[in-house]
Amino acid sequence: MASHAAASGRKGWRMSFCLSNPLPCARALSPRGRSMVNNLKSYLRRAEFAALVAMPVLLAGCNPADFPASTFAPRSDLGHWVQGVYLETIVWDSLILALICGLIFLLLTRYSTRAREDQPGPPPPHGESIELEIAWTAGPALILLFIAVPSLRIVFRSQPATPPPHSLIINVTAHQWWWQFDYPGLGVETADEVHIPVGRPARFLLNSADVIHSFWVPGMGGKRDVIPGHVNELTFTPDTPGEYIGECAEFCGLSHANMKFRIFVQTPVDYANWLANQTSGPRNANQGAAAAGEHVFLTSACTTCHAIKGVSSGYIGPNLTHFGSRTTFAGSIYVNTPANVAAWIEDPEALKPGAQMPPLGLRGKELDQLVAYLESLK
Amino acid sequence: MVALPKHIEAEESYLHGGGILSWLTTIDHKRIAVLYGVTVLFFFLAGGIEALLMRIQLARPDNTFLSAYLYNEMFTMHGTTMIFLVVMPAGLGFFANFVVPLQIGARDVAFPRLNALSYWIFLFGAIVLNVGWLYNMAPDAGWFGYANLTESYYSPGLNINLWTLGLLISGVGSVLAGINLLTTVINMRAPGMTFMRLPLFVWSMMVMFVLILVAFPPLTVGLIFLAMDRFFGTHFYRVVAGATPLLWQHLFWLFGHPEVYIMALPAFGIISEITPTFSRKPLYGYPAMAYSTALIGFLSYGVWAHHMFAVGMGPAADSAFALTSMLIAIPTGIKIFSWIATMWGGDLKMKTPLMYAIAFVIQFTMGGLSGIMHAQPPVDLQQTDSYFVVAHFHYVLFGGTAFALLGGLYYWWPKITGRLLNEKLGRLQFWTMVVGFNLTFFPMHLLGAEGMPRRIYRFSPHMGWDSVNLLCTIGAFIMAASVAILLINILLTMRDGELAGPDPWDGRGLEWKIPSPPPAYNFSTIPIVRSRDQFWHDKYGYESGVVPPAPLPAHENEDSGHIHMPAPSIYPLLLALGITMAVVGMLDWLRVALCGAALTLFCAIAMAFEYREAGSENPEAVGIFTGLDNRKVGVWSFIASESLFFASLIATYLVYKGRDLGGPTAETILEMPLVIGTTFILLMSSVTMVLAQEGYRRGDRTWGLRWLFLTIFFGSVFLAGQVFEFHTFYTEGMSLGTNLFSQTFYTMVGFHGAHVAIGVIILLSLVGASFTDWFKERHRDIAVECAALYWHFVDIVWIVIFSIVYLMRSIAKA
Repeated sequence: MASHAAASGRKGWRMSFCLSNPLPCARALSPRGRSMVNNLKSYLRRAEFAALVAMPVLLAGCNPADFPASTFAPRSDLGHWVQGVYLETIVWDSLILALICGLIFLLLTRYSTRAREDQPGPPPPHGESIELEIAWTAGPALILLFIAVPSLRIVFRSQPATPPPHSLIINVTAHQWWWQFDYPGLGVETADEVHIPVGRPARFLLNSADVIHSFWVPGMGGKRDVIPGHVNELTFTPDTPGEYIGECAEFCGLSHANMKFRIFVQTPVDYANWLANQTSGPRNANQGAAAAGEHVFLTSACTTCHAIKGVSSGYIGPNLTHFGSRTTFAGSIYVNTPANVAAWIEDPEALKPGAQMPPLGLRGKELDQLVAYLESLK
Repeated sequence: MVALPKHIEAEESYLHGGGILSWLTTIDHKRIAVLYGVTVLFFFLAGGIEALLMRIQLARPDNTFLSAYLYNEMFTMHGTTMIFLVVMPAGLGFFANFVVPLQIGARDVAFPRLNALSYWIFLFGAIVLNVGWLYNMAPDAGWFGYANLTESYYSPGLNINLWTLGLLISGVGSVLAGINLLTTVINMRAPGMTFMRLPLFVWSMMVMFVLILVAFPPLTVGLIFLAMDRFFGTHFYRVVAGATPLLWQHLFWLFGHPEVYIMALPAFGIISEITPTFSRKPLYGYPAMAYSTALIGFLSYGVWAHHMFAVGMGPAADSAFALTSMLIAIPTGIKIFSWIATMWGGDLKMKTPLMYAIAFVIQFTMGGLSGIMHAQPPVDLQQTDSYFVVAHFHYVLFGGTAFALLGGLYYWWPKITGRLLNEKLGRLQFWTMVVGFNLTFFPMHLLGAEGMPRRIYRFSPHMGWDSVNLLCTIGAFIMAASVAILLINILLTMRDGELAGPDPWDGRGLEWKIPSPPPAYNFSTIPIVRSRDQFWHDKYGYESGVVPPAPLPAHENEDSGHIHMPAPSIYPLLLALGITMAVVGMLDWLRVALCGAALTLFCAIAMAFEYREAGSENPEAVGIFTGLDNRKVGVWSFIASESLFFASLIATYLVYKGRDLGGPTAETILEMPLVIGTTFILLMSSVTMVLAQEGYRRGDRTWGLRWLFLTIFFGSVFLAGQVFEFHTFYTEGMSLGTNLFSQTFYTMVGFHGAHVAIGVIILLSLVGASFTDWFKERHRDIAVECAALYWHFVDIVWIVIFSIVYLMRSIAKA
């Protein structure tokens, strides 16, 4: 009895679908009912399975701490604007996809004739409806309008004709494969790590020393290409202190993968302290291994490429004046520890293919002294 | 090759007979399609192996399986191979070549030897692109080869040289194939096959041929600039000379976005064939489908800069390109809904081709929807150059196009070989492909959202990307297994597969009317077309019972019992070899280049005489719809493509005008009197050309030759004037690479001069031919007319260049 009731229930479910069918349809209801229900069961099983597989992935996506470069954890005005448009589009896209998948699902359950494919009957009837065609032309056009209007407003808002007042200007020069940051007027130059205060618009003026790169900070809302001979601009106001990963997003040669950077968004007080330290000269290394290391630095090839305020004036490689105060180095891919720095000086190519810094042939004590000197440059 | 089904007269099948040589000299469109097919399969496997190696490298963080250098080679060649050597030739060379003539009721394409030439050029281009693997110097700057990374200062090796030349060569093959097939569709349709009765597959292909003609010239120009920068010391993309690397991006994407539709349109066409056949219903909304196809092709030419939102073009340009990009979603939506409506209410036969078609609809929709996301500049700033984009275009190009191509392969395989592929293995292959594909590429959306950039050979373990990457790698291997199943299926059914018979699927198009595999001449009698889906109506009658009237049999060919098929020729192969040698010789070997040029010239002339010796003019040479000779339609198509070539050169000249950092400019160096004189002479040569044409039309050799000689003389005077002008500039110290003006001027004016020189050679060959029996032939004036068309076109281009370079300079001076 129960199974009979269930069967008729299913039949009723099918009826309702058929009535809502907008297209001309002359299918009989009964002959394939059972196979249809079986098909449906198997599809439901598949959907359940898919959901089970998808859940952990989706849940994992919800913990921002595990994904330091997530594009879904905006921490700036630009990031929030972008995410607003992004989410809205995802909703529309999901609705459209659900509609298409739903239609295909109905198609498969209703019109599949696998069982009797070898006995072709007369051709099925067909007809066309101009109303339907107008609907599926105008419908998407309308949806696109809903998507386009807010999106274009953000296009103009994020690229204002005049820069916001009181913005902090930072000149970015991209190199194969590291980032140089200059604070004009403040006399501060760093590499691969940049500090900005929370709540103040930061205006990054982007230029390249060699090929095209792209300046991307997912947590700040976007990227902008860095093109030689052409100053580009990306402006945003960070709203939460923290450490944010930046990446080169345009393929720029051999070590493109090794060209990261970090943005430290700091409270105004922390930022002021950091700035005060950076504007001062390097701490004098007047004793111990560090003092010996300064001698090694001055007598080896280091000075050709690297600048240390008051010590050397090379400009091809990163400025090392406050190297010891940085948390990472070499395109922000290695943590700044004495062991890592020593390994780097011994064989840069091994740590970063294509690195322009040559091996200097420093070993043993000399190397340790040089590393101690560099680490002392807080 | 394939064991022939017994019920087909063995000697009739196009696959029958001949050894290797017959395949090298074949000009049968079906055999050429098979050659394309085998080549495409080979490169599909090569590109697939490159992808697998990349996925192994990215299976875990900080992996050292591939070096950075090897990885960069892998992703460059994976993209280049899959786009230029797999998907595009699969559509243009394999499916279009095999199916289009059959569906329009033709016996071959318009220019059979040009067809063979296109294939051999494509093959040699593919070899040049890949030969670097032997020296571990494969191209390594990405399939998009962004300048200025590709300049010799940043990429000094052979790698980019091979990439540049390989793409230049294979591009020539693509344009020639496009001209050939477009002429075929315009001119060689069977009686009654009006445009609104064409199968939608042919419609899609036709739009694609047009796109090839207009999209390739900007790429060719971009590549020529790159080759000149690398070989001849110009600086089209060098910042130090005031140039901008963005020029390459505009030229490349002006090609690159239509290229997306060059790859997708064949897929649309295939799906539009499969869904009606396996639903046993006509295609829903045929006119809307046809017009939306054309609209997609049109719009695709105006959206290129949506690849450049991160470049910083400014909010106005961003908005304009965002809107045009989103507009494409409307005709695409019409297509998707129409396919669904086609299947709705049909007798769905769930065979492998239909399963692929349904998967295509869903996956292509997903690719399109993510495309709507990055059609919006703000969202694009988060997504571009991240794995989200990798997911997006693989949903479009693999989940979409490649799925459609696989469905098309299962669909037309019985027509091509005479045997069906095994259905059970086909289903297994389909399901493993669906699982593998989605497992590989869906998670990449997440990787992109989690901030993973593209084209990185390694990633750090602290980014949260580990497990998702591993999932992608597992998926890639499931896809590889699926491809293995396809190969097994092909091998198993090649000799003893089920015989297909002419019409295994209860099909609708004319191709199902003839035996499988088809005879060399396709149709023993050219079919008469009274309506859309003619073959279906032949089988099932008309719904109203009223049979539409047959078109007037305006065909002299109406079965005379003797079918002329053009004879095989070795010259296409040799000519392609000559072109390849001439281009590759630019690398360093002057002698190779000269030998190549000589071989090219020899083969071109030999081909012209070979055609005459064969003694038979192609009986179908005049289109029954257009009344025009095939050659004339071909020349018009060629001129369309050439216009875009010169437009790209002129646009570059204008973009760089005034950006010089020093040196001569148009205002300081150009001298007017001489050029005004030579310009007048060149324009007069158009008049004399018309008079010469009149002589050939009337059969008055003396009259014709007199004016032809004068035309040649005028052309030569113009060329001499140009040589004198260039020489003067050179002695004044303006060499090719002096500044932006010198390089754009020499390149643009020089290419025009080369066109005049080729025109003079063509006219000279007509002079020579006038003293042979050719002059007595009926269609001799068509050849003169084609030469005249080309000559007038070159003159018109000069009027534009003269105005822009010389007149604008005078105005500026005044």
